[in-house]
Amino acid sequence: MAKEECKALLDALNRVTACYRHMVLSVGGTSDSQNLREELKQTRQKAHELAVANRNKLTAALKDKDVSKEDKAEYERLWVIFSTCLEILETDMKRALELGLEFPLNMPKKHLIQTGMSGGTTGVAARAMSVQNIKYEAEPNIDEVDLKDLEQEIHKVGEMMYEMEMKVNVPQWTVEAKQDPGAELKSTTSAGASSGGFVSVEERKSVCDISKLLAAIVFSAVLIIAVILAVCVVKLS
Amino acid sequence: MTIRHQGQQYRPRMAFLRKIEALVKEMQNPETGIRMQSQRVMITNIPHAMTGNDILQWIAQRLWIGHMEAQNLGNFVVKYGYVYPLQDPKNLNLKPDNSSLYRFQTPYFWPTQQWSAEDTDYAIYLAKRNIKKKGILEEYEKENYSFLNKKINHKWDFIIMQAKEQYKTGKERKKADRYALDCQEKAYWLVHRCPPGADNILDYGLNRVTNPNEVKKDTISLIRKEIMYYQQALMRSTVKSSVSLGGIVKYSEQFSSNDPIMSGCLPSNPWITDDTQFWELNAKLVDIPTKMRVERWAFNFSELIRDPKGRQSFQFFLKKEFSGENLGFWEACEDLKYGDQSKVKEKAQEIYKLFLAPGARRWINIDGKTMDITVKGLKHPHRYVLDAAQTHIYMLMKKDSYARYLKSPIYKEMLAKAIEPRETSKRSSLPFMRRHLRSSPSPVILRQLEEEAKAREAANTVDITQVMSKLDRRSQLKKEIPPK
Repeated sequence: MAKEECKALLDALNRVTACYRHMVLSVGGTSDSQNLREELKQTRQKAHELAVANRNKLTAALKDKDVSKEDKAEYERLWVIFSTCLEILETDMKRALELGLEFPLNMPKKHLIQTGMSGGTTGVAARAMSVQNIKYEAEPNIDEVDLKDLEQEIHKVGEMMYEMEMKVNVPQWTVEAKQDPGAELKSTTSAGASSGGFVSVEERKSVCDISKLLAAIVFSAVLIIAVILAVCVVKLS
Repeated sequence: MTIRHQGQQYRPRMAFLRKIEALVKEMQNPETGIRMQSQRVMITNIPHAMTGNDILQWIAQRLWIGHMEAQNLGNFVVKYGYVYPLQDPKNLNLKPDNSSLYRFQTPYFWPTQQWSAEDTDYAIYLAKRNIKKKGILEEYEKENYSFLNKKINHKWDFIIMQAKEQYKTGKERKKADRYALDCQEKAYWLVHRCPPGADNILDYGLNRVTNPNEVKKDTISLIRKEIMYYQQALMRSTVKSSVSLGGIVKYSEQFSSNDPIMSGCLPSNPWITDDTQFWELNAKLVDIPTKMRVERWAFNFSELIRDPKGRQSFQFFLKKEFSGENLGFWEACEDLKYGDQSKVKEKAQEIYKLFLAPGARRWINIDGKTMDITVKGLKHPHRYVLDAAQTHIYMLMKKDSYARYLKSPIYKEMLAKAIEPRETSKRSSLPFMRRHLRSSPSPVILRQLEEEAKAREAANTVDITQVMSKLDRRSQLKKEIPPK
């Protein structure tokens, strides 16, 4: 089904965007390195491919006149998600360019900012590229070489977004979100909350209170018993 | 440094962030920079922490400045988010002691003036925090969350998707890095979406349309404009400051006794004693005005004209002198100036018919030149078309009738009748005493009464032409009788 494919592609793009942002966060800090720059380049290329694929699929779906109304609404919703994702990707790429220019890696006089990070971003990049291990094949001064490519790609993305705006007429604000506020707490495995976020807060709080109250009662009971025993001992002796 | 933005808006009060950035970069030097320690968090050691004292000493030494200035600069560095405190994240001040630790912020999270911190990003951050803290957010964060949910509802699906992905991605890094990343992001949003009660350091005031620091090149048209401006300024009549200051002193001396704040007011200040007698006694058209008020009319003509009761009394006097139409004309002109724009044309025509046309019912006596200007202006009537005539009449009344009015029996009678209210005894208002609350008459009713009074006036005015014609007929009759 076309919708499932679109959703899968969009999920993939979403994942790559999240990874890209995570990596751009480290540029200029102590976990920056040539490897990071190369990872950025690879992730960016992957993102570009996915974006193009997404765009083609979604424009085809939206231009199709035979879709039903609910399907059309669904495609519009996916379109809004896609365009927002692309906006964020573009901003991150621009930031990456700016930071890359400011923090070149091989200069002895320019030091990286000591941000407290010591590990690398290999895991993140692997997640983005959906591979087990990343191979680092680039030249040692990729940080400078890559910047020109980055500039060109930013232009390309900008043009793509402009084309999208012109060709597809989907007003963003008419789309209604399917998720409620607090929905992020529902399906994460580490949350453990059964209902919406804020209701679970009260439940947990009351549970904590009851257990605390119980502990306090037990402790005071033990104290009283100890006092009574001490008094008895004193009296008897 | 000013930054050009779309729409040519200049924001000259923005912070020059490049300067702090240069300083922060210098702090990174392993030899000449700040001494680093590691922070112990439970079982892990996170490197690159500094004490507040170290930062302060480094700044003072590097820039050759004193302790206070270094403290101030250090505060800026923390407030703008280049360095964040580790133990007390909300307190964005540099504490110069050896126990408070700070760390540098990653360059992605440095404040920039090109991109503002987006709502979408903030929403993603809040969603991530929600996941991490399992729903326990601070009050202001919860409010922001629900507000953003309404504001960018169309992007909400994306925000949730992205938040989940970013949360999962964070798990790919080692634990110490994850902790540091959390602290960084939290510090970033504390600066860019500050909690209630904290100052928003990135606030730079209003956007301005022109750049006040711009040095304009002297073009010929600019200089021509300047010359014209100065020529007009020279033509203005100026008054010596000694003269104007003397005028102010005289005015203050004369009016000081009438000022309720300077010399108190009788019977009592209503705002203080809750006694509204003062307002009742000084109502617009009260029957018997207070002595202060009547004495005030003698100060100058504008005081008399400004007071409605004074105007009424003056009108009465003018009628006796057969020059009542002057004040009538003046009032009609005021009505034209301050009335409805839509009625300007018809009002101007009416005034012309009533006061200015040759053979009009209440013809006023103005000189030929002014009459010419007025008649010409009435072809295209606007609010101020009768200004010249009004000024002429005003001057006439001021120089001629006013002096006679002050000597007239009407004024003297008014002065004698005027009451001097007694000061009310200071009654301490008991908290349980019921106060008599009377509402003042509604302004709508007051206006209706005024209009009725005006209509009656208009009906009762003496037609100067009829009087003249009557006198003429009488004289004709007299002339006719003798020949008999």
